[in-house]
Amino acid sequence: MGQSYLRFWGVRGSHSAPFDTHLKVGGNTSCVEIRDRQHVLICDAGTGIIPFGESIMDEQDINELLIILTHYHWDHICGLPFFLPAFSADWNIRFFGPGYSAKDIETHISAQMRAPYFPVGTETWLANINCLEPTNTGITHGPISLSYKNVHHPGLTYGYRITVAGKDVLYVSDNECLYLKKSVQQEFAHLNDEERTLYNEMQKEEHGMELKLLEDADILIHDAQYTSEDYEKKKGWGHSCYVDTVNTSIDAGVKELYLYHHDPHYDDDAIEQIHEHAIQIIQHRRSSMKCHIAREGLTVEL
Amino acid sequence: MLMGESKKIVVIVDNSPSVQSLIMRGTQGLDIELKSFDSAEGAWDYLQSNQPDLLFLGVLMPDKDGITFLKELRDSALHKDTSVVMISSKDYAQDKIIVKELGALDFLTMPMPISAVTNMAEKYLS
Repeated sequence: MGQSYLRFWGVRGSHSAPFDTHLKVGGNTSCVEIRDRQHVLICDAGTGIIPFGESIMDEQDINELLIILTHYHWDHICGLPFFLPAFSADWNIRFFGPGYSAKDIETHISAQMRAPYFPVGTETWLANINCLEPTNTGITHGPISLSYKNVHHPGLTYGYRITVAGKDVLYVSDNECLYLKKSVQQEFAHLNDEERTLYNEMQKEEHGMELKLLEDADILIHDAQYTSEDYEKKKGWGHSCYVDTVNTSIDAGVKELYLYHHDPHYDDDAIEQIHEHAIQIIQHRRSSMKCHIAREGLTVEL
Repeated sequence: MLMGESKKIVVIVDNSPSVQSLIMRGTQGLDIELKSFDSAEGAWDYLQSNQPDLLFLGVLMPDKDGITFLKELRDSALHKDTSVVMISSKDYAQDKIIVKELGALDFLTMPMPISAVTNMAEKYLS
């Protein structure tokens, strides 16, 4: 393994899926490690952060981490109560995520670790823990730099652009693509001509913002939770249909796409079918974009 | 309006020109003065010293989002009670709960008819 890489520790959305029919793709919830030499960045703290924490404890030359959170839904933070480095005195861990202040971030992180939901609170964490203040100027972690934007998901949710080893890696775990377009299509019959013109323009603007968020990513890790059939039932839940993820990524000039945040109801075969169809869409559009399934344990050299 | 009585002030803060057009179109028959800003930062100078009669605030803006901006406004003495209506295509239940806790009066979900903007403005300006 090289000095700079990313590794998927958890790839599921919503809840873990520890079923033998699902384990070729993986059962843990969101967690991706991005590393440049000894500098380690963790994206989200779902159950995938638990095996990551056990693994990193064996590396004697690392005792610092930056953990960035897209938001505070359970599948993105529920590994923290079992995250070994937090309970070890010789570790320095910085957190960043949506919030009005560092204190606000700290409150969100610690809220799940209290009685009666958990036997001990974050006061039992022995590591030196710091939450970062919101910033407009970006965040650095050694040679890794990152910025964030608001995305289409319930509450404050961030998508991150991470510059590492000369590449732009985008981590957008939860994002509902083309939402306004679909809402306008639903309501079109009830709108008058003036409103149709207005909303057509508005959806173009919103799509332009979506493309700007993703544009020219070397690697995009993006929400692809639903099939078209399931999305019809779950529009407005804050997740994308993989077809929209693929098409939007092509439009944004993404070089390599990892379909991520898989629905826990989809077994390995179902996700293979999603991948096959995604490849067909890319070929049909004559795009050179590469597309992969994010799988637990998969390591990508940067 | 009586002599010397000034027009009510309505402010729209949203990065989208189309959203600004929608609010402009929805309030054009009302006897108000409309001020438009395309970002929270852009509106801040004005709002530091002025309390509008009604503020339409976009949720999903590329720089500072409307929810964070609303929290900042509520932290200032001038805007503790400012009438705010959120406007967005992002209409998840969690967003509505958060902005309600921050004292927003209502939530306009796009796409809605232009008349919905008019009705909302009339309701909260009366």
